[in-house]
Order: sequence, then C-alpha cells, then structure tokens
Amino acid sequence: MIRLQIPSHADYIEIVRVCLYGIASKLSFSYEDIEDMKVAVSEACTNAVLHGRTQDDGGSLIDVCFQPSEAGMTVIVKNEGEPFEHSESIADENTPPLQGIEISELPVGGLGIYLMEALMDEVTVQSTDSGTEVIMTKYISQ
Amino acid sequence: MKQQHFQIEQTETNDSYILSLSGELDLSVVTQLRAALEPVMERTDRALVLNLRDLKYIDSTGIGIIVSVLKYRDGINASLSVQEIPPTIQRLFDLTGISGYLTEGTEQQT
Repeated sequence: MIRLQIPSHADYIEIVRVCLYGIASKLSFSYEDIEDMKVAVSEACTNAVLHGRTQDDGGSLIDVCFQPSEAGMTVIVKNEGEPFEHSESIADENTPPLQGIEISELPVGGLGIYLMEALMDEVTVQSTDSGTEVIMTKYISQ
Repeated sequence: MKQQHFQIEQTETNDSYILSLSGELDLSVVTQLRAALEPVMERTDRALVLNLRDLKYIDSTGIGIIVSVLKYRDGINASLSVQEIPPTIQRLFDLTGISGYLTEGTEQQT
C-alpha cells in the first residue's frame, strides 16, 4: 500500500496524478487505463478540495491511498469536512449527462461523479459525519 | 512537470479570437481560464475559438467551463468552436456528451 497526504488545495491535485502515473505504469495498465484513472482520481480530489474544510476553518488534509494488486488497483481518497451531496449527482453510467438537452438547460456541474463511475470499474462513496471516502477500483484489462 | 504547466495563448484574427490552451486544465487553473475568457466571451463581432491541440489533460472542471461558455455564447447568438481536440480529451467529451454540442471549426483562420 502506498499513501500520500496532500493539503486540501487545488494546487496539489497534480501531485496526486503524477504519483498515480508512477504507480500505475509499474503495473501492466494500458495507456488509456492510466489516463482514465488520472481523471477519476482527480475528480475525487477535486470534490475533496471543494467540499473539505477551508483554510480559514483550520484547513484539512486529503489522504490518498493506492493499493496495487495483480488484478488492478484500488485508490481511496479520503477527506474531512462536509460530505458532498450525492443528490447533486446526475450519474447514470449508460447515458451521457449532456445529451438531448437544449444548450440553455445544460448542467454545468455534477459531471465529476459521472466521470468517476464511467472511467473506473467500481466506485463507492461513503460519507460519515466527519468526512467522505471515495473508494475506486480499476482492473487491468486482459 | 514544469513544461506541462497550464498556459493560455491568445491570438486575434480578422474574424475570430483564438484561445490556445496547453498543459493540464484542472481545478487549480479555473480562475486563470475564466479571467482569460471573460473579456472575449461577450464579443459578438468575432467567433470564439478554443484550440486544444497542446492540452494534455482536462477533467470535469474544464468541461464545466466549456459548457458555461457554450451556454453564454448560445444566449447571445454567438458561436464557439473547439479545434484540434486530442484523442484522450475527445474520449471524455464523448463520454459526457458535450461533443454533440461542439462545432469543430477545422478551417485554419489566418
């Protein structure tokens, strides 16, 4: 298991991607799978930064945990603070959220969770009073 | 890592404003991109073009900005086209469905 802890700030999300790339490229993931994971894990971190405690509130940290295995990799992104609203989610894995809608009605937000679910094989979001944990797994395609 | 840093290059032609984005577009550069878009997105005298040829990464924050510009331009009857979309980014555009709303102005403006 590899653990990374970053301040809850947008500037550090890139570090998570660099780290993820390093770990995933040691496994036999395809280039496309690594790109998918980069986006999905960034989405989880973006949510953590946007919904976690702010600097004024004493700041908070985001814990990222990478668990590589023979079958693939599980990434856990955990933060303290208000849980983010699932109800905002427009996630339905099989239907692109931006389709068949008038331009003026297009939703600007809510794409993050949709992308996580579309790009990873398994996604679980667990919210408690103290924070949110996103657990996602990508399997190595045979 | 430094050479991947997000950059916006703005060029102006007789009929369009072209914003060429390079590097990684994520939450950390949202303010920078919004600031660059603000003065040009309300201009109806020229077409607004986003060139993504050198963009290495985008996620929902970047796609959200494109959606908001698209809506704004549609509201003022002005165009927005997105050019030279790299394959990895095109895939995310297709997944979210935003591709259906983008006009890919491919003709080179001089």
